[in-house]
Amino acid sequence: MRMINLTKLFLGTVLALGLSIDDVKAEYPEKPITMILPLGAGGSHDRNARVFTSVIPVFLGNAIIVKLMPGASGQVGTAAAARAKPDGYTLLFTHNYYDQLQKHVKKLPYNTDKDFITVGKLNSGSFSVIVRADSPFKSWKELVAFAKKNPGKLKFAHSGNWGATHAPALQLFTEAGIVKNVVMVPYKGGGPSLRGFLAKEADFTFQFKSTILAQGKKVRVLISAGKKTAFKGVPTFGDLGYTTDIGLMHRVLMAQRGIPADRLAKLRSAMTKLQGHKTYKKLIKAIGEVTDYETGPAYEAQRPAQSKAYKAMVQGLMKK
Amino acid sequence: MFESFIEGIGLALRWDTMIYISGGLFLGMFVGALPGFTTLMAMAILLPISFFLDPLLGIPFLIGVYKGGIYGGSIPAILISMPGTGAAVATTFDGPSLTKKGQGRKALEMALFSSVSGDLSSDIITIALIGPIAAVALLLGPPELAAILLLALIVISATSSGVFVKGLLMLVVGLFFGMIGQDPIGALSRFSMGIPQIEAGIPLLPMLIGVFALPEIFTNIEKKASSLIKAEDLKVSGARLTWTEFKSCIRTIARSTVIGTSIGMIPGVGQVVAAFMGYAAAKSASTHPETFGEGELEGVAAAEAANNAVNGPTLVPLLTLGIPGDNLTVILVGAFIAQGMRPGPQLMEEQGSLVFAILVAMALANILFLGIGYLCIPFFARVVTIRKSFLLPLTLVFAFAGSWVFRAQPFDLAVLVFFGAFGYIAKKLHFDVTPMAMGFILGPTLEYSFGQSITLSNGELFGYMLFERPITAVILTLTPIVTFLMWRRSNRLRKQFETEE
Repeated sequence: MRMINLTKLFLGTVLALGLSIDDVKAEYPEKPITMILPLGAGGSHDRNARVFTSVIPVFLGNAIIVKLMPGASGQVGTAAAARAKPDGYTLLFTHNYYDQLQKHVKKLPYNTDKDFITVGKLNSGSFSVIVRADSPFKSWKELVAFAKKNPGKLKFAHSGNWGATHAPALQLFTEAGIVKNVVMVPYKGGGPSLRGFLAKEADFTFQFKSTILAQGKKVRVLISAGKKTAFKGVPTFGDLGYTTDIGLMHRVLMAQRGIPADRLAKLRSAMTKLQGHKTYKKLIKAIGEVTDYETGPAYEAQRPAQSKAYKAMVQGLMKK
Repeated sequence: MFESFIEGIGLALRWDTMIYISGGLFLGMFVGALPGFTTLMAMAILLPISFFLDPLLGIPFLIGVYKGGIYGGSIPAILISMPGTGAAVATTFDGPSLTKKGQGRKALEMALFSSVSGDLSSDIITIALIGPIAAVALLLGPPELAAILLLALIVISATSSGVFVKGLLMLVVGLFFGMIGQDPIGALSRFSMGIPQIEAGIPLLPMLIGVFALPEIFTNIEKKASSLIKAEDLKVSGARLTWTEFKSCIRTIARSTVIGTSIGMIPGVGQVVAAFMGYAAAKSASTHPETFGEGELEGVAAAEAANNAVNGPTLVPLLTLGIPGDNLTVILVGAFIAQGMRPGPQLMEEQGSLVFAILVAMALANILFLGIGYLCIPFFARVVTIRKSFLLPLTLVFAFAGSWVFRAQPFDLAVLVFFGAFGYIAKKLHFDVTPMAMGFILGPTLEYSFGQSITLSNGELFGYMLFERPITAVILTLTPIVTFLMWRRSNRLRKQFETEE
């Protein structure tokens, strides 16, 4: 009895191994995939990418390697991804502002709509507006009212022109009617903009939730992005009648338009399956992020609307 | 505060913590020593490891990589004049000349001892003065940064070898190279001459290797076999650093430590400036400034102590205010957050002992590194005992390989060759390329902070600086005075030199 079982087990193993070797040979991905980040080391994209790539091999059968290619506001990395062979071995991990806003501001050496298709949206980072605890503004409405009456008096610290906090701030200020009244002070990244804000060089700024929590009682949150509020008792953009999508930075994985359909499907299904993985969920929570995943087709459908909104905003600003 | 500190010591003194620090130091040193690999890359790749470790293992491990990497960068700088980062540039002034004299091992040991003592003292100062340092970080904003960088650039040009005006000229060239690509604020492309590869600016690493290492190789090839390292020099290449030699540099190390620590408190300035300021100060305080640049141990000590002394204070804004000081500390933020800790005032209040434990682990890392570095130096020092006929082509291979692995872009090799030729011509015409490299590295930051200052002042720059930014006003007033003094000194030295000849 035992013998037979062992033999069966042995035969079964050989069969399974044989089959799986054949599978691996025939199936994409046969080698590690490169994922280009058009951003620098240590930022929130980098952190999310590290978590993503440490678990995804479970569902993909091969590794994804992160390649950081910062420079020229994302153009260096995006251009490299656009130039790469559309064989599914070079992917791009970008965000909505590089994807849909930048093209309205300057001439780019690629066309994000024609060059890239969404594999999936990993998650979104949501920003909140903060003032220092000693600020006279207790609510967003008070701040807006003050800005309207005193053009040029308020300063806003952001992480660099057309970057992830500049663009959504401009959208919000446009809708609030104060875009021409606020002085926009650029800093080299989220960290330096926080320093400028804490040093009273600017009156208010945008930050991610995890950064705000670290500040404790030193700052006050006035309004926050997202469908649900990130902070108890603080209204969301939607609550006060602004466009709900503002202030959300979508972290999106993209592939070249020319990618074979079966490979895209494989990537998409791996990304969907990833959402149920325990370690993945734990790690994402640990780095202070959320898992509001959206499938490729679902995100793809939103891109034209984003583009339209950004275009309108940029044109409004240019009229100045 | 003091109680948390004592608790912190207890937390940090663990065997496994020591082992992880040592592992990090070892890895970091090797990666830093390989041309083309940067500490930043090593830390980014190793970051996920820390997600799965206890905070008092993962974070000290990354700190080990960070410290090991910074020292590692000085190894190729000393042996083959190949700085992997801007911070190691000042080490190439005296390191390679010492190696040529057969004192490579001595130079490596001096670099190790001065790095460790600079770093350790700065960590101790940091632990003692954590509150005031945090306050300084908020006091110094973009206008101060711009003023300090301007002053630093002038001091750097003035202390480079040769004529003052030539130094300033090279500075201007470097500032121009730094402008190529996109303007840092509006991201408009400029001076890229239609070459898409430099739309994002000239890559730093191939440029540094090209301008510092290639001319060195070429001039070596030019020399006849007779003037290459003589057989007897090779024998003494194992010469160790003596206690008297170290003792004679203690003053220099102390000075550089103070300079490095102070510069570390200013957000955004960093190791590059510290190394040069330390070197410049040592040179002007020396009774024999003419030996600097010709293979002076004190020069290596001055640069290395200063750039490592930056490490302690750069962590303070992160730990107390939640603001990362540079790219490397941004990665540490990732490690902290993954552990459920958010660096900032909240963390300091709630888990003060843990913050101190990490600072103590940093200080301990230095002591461990003294041992690890000391054991590894003989291995590295052997590099120079390779016959020159092999070493030169090997260095050339390293230069190209280093520029290639950086980003794997063919264009970077063209940059390497271009700057190699540039450096060679400059050398023949007795222009020092250092101010050029520094202008290139610091120029964009200077431009950015100047632009920020204009925005902050609402267009009334003068009044803003005078009334709201007194520190800036003081530094800017000092700048022409320092420039004049530097110019006079350079003239006097030249006259002295001429009469001696």
